[in-house]
Amino acid sequence: MTGAEFSEVDIDLLADYIGGALEGTPEESAVATLIAENPGWREAYERLGGGVALVRAELGRFEPEPMPSDLAARLDGMFSAPALTLVKGDAAAERPGSRRRWTTPIAIAAGFIAFVGFGADYLSGRNASHDDSASSVAGTSEQAAPAAGTTILSTGTDYTRSTLASGPPQPLAAGDNASASTFGENSVPNQSRTSAKDPALARLTASAALQECFEAIERENAGGPIGVLTADYARFDGVPALIVRFTAENGDWVWATGADCGTPVAGADAIDKVPVR
Amino acid sequence: MNTVDSVGPSDADLLRAHVDGDRDAFGELVRRHRDRLWAVALRTIGDREEAADAVQDALLSAHRNAARFRGDSAVTTWLHRIVVNASLDRIRRRQAHPTVPLPDGSRSDDRPSGVEPAAPAADHDTALVVRQALAALPADQRAAIVLVDIQGYPVAEAAEILEVAVGTIKSRCARGRARMALALGDLRGRDHGHPPAGNQDAAETVPSGPGTPQPLPGPHDRRDQK
Repeated sequence: MTGAEFSEVDIDLLADYIGGALEGTPEESAVATLIAENPGWREAYERLGGGVALVRAELGRFEPEPMPSDLAARLDGMFSAPALTLVKGDAAAERPGSRRRWTTPIAIAAGFIAFVGFGADYLSGRNASHDDSASSVAGTSEQAAPAAGTTILSTGTDYTRSTLASGPPQPLAAGDNASASTFGENSVPNQSRTSAKDPALARLTASAALQECFEAIERENAGGPIGVLTADYARFDGVPALIVRFTAENGDWVWATGADCGTPVAGADAIDKVPVR
Repeated sequence: MNTVDSVGPSDADLLRAHVDGDRDAFGELVRRHRDRLWAVALRTIGDREEAADAVQDALLSAHRNAARFRGDSAVTTWLHRIVVNASLDRIRRRQAHPTVPLPDGSRSDDRPSGVEPAAPAADHDTALVVRQALAALPADQRAAIVLVDIQGYPVAEAAEILEVAVGTIKSRCARGRARMALALGDLRGRDHGHPPAGNQDAAETVPSGPGTPQPLPGPHDRRDQK
């Protein structure tokens, strides 16, 4: 049965009839009449009815499909209270033979406190003035020296190629609505500050996704293990971006990576990369 | 198909708690339903990576927009709706931005890439053919069949999830099944000597045969409404 042998039969109409989609409509009785009086329709009805029964039986045999454990863990990390989110970085740091220099336990804890503060509030859709993620970022920047570990920022700064290597912005002194003037003397020039809570970067607020992003950068940089100094949830040329500053055997770099950083398809999703001198 | 934990808080309670600031409530809600949400996304998209992204995007959206949930439907229906829409959006984006075909030509922009897990060995061949036929359906018909015939949702709930009329779901399922039945006949026609599996009586009414399948009309349902 391929359908070709039922050239005079409207297969969709017949399928609707078999599936009960015509119940209570004038077409229902019209199709019933065709089946009763037209041999071609009758044969198609009998054969298609049998085929549909077989299909339904086979579909009913599909096995349950539990969510993969890695995705379940990622979702747990995204939607759990902050204390649970801290585990990821520590586990990576303690892995025997780990090459990840960015997962120094103390530094990663300090970094992720800021990260979690940002991520949890971001996910909750809360107003920053209510539970100020910017101030937690500021506090963390003072605790975690860039050379000692990863500092997570969420400045929302709109970087350009010319400002990318100028260095991370100073911690914000005020709330989320602070103006560009709150950047200190070393702030990146000519930056317009936009909301740090860009939905496009939501995936990267999960610690596992962030680490996958770092690993993708390390692979694509091809300069040996990298030590991530800062990661800033920001923008690049107006596009949501994670700005990652790191050291490697091939020098110090700052990469602007897109929202798909760390995914198998996009890799590091690098938008731009400049050496830091 | 609403699931309410008889011991713990209801889904609605958890969602309300999340809106009120309980940072664990949404995670608990996700843990309750994640397997079914995943199965719907995977079987609608057919690609594990894309399904994972769709589920994650959908749940983030639900997390952010929970306050907008008005309670017009069950929480699970609402979650499924967001996941299915995210899955269909991904399929549409794939169609709008076609990818370069793989060397074996296996990738279609509307159809799953065929990496769904293998079926049990006993009915492996039949199951494979069924999966191929399912993957070849228009996305709207596939989503309806996934919800009703595979996941077992009542037609009325599938209609709520997809935000269409009950008659539309019936039509999408009916036409999708018919397409699959025709495709099974065609595919089996190429596989001479393959014994039918499952319902033997029914299988006998679907003889293999040569010929080109009659092109069926597009994905628009006769009874599309709402």
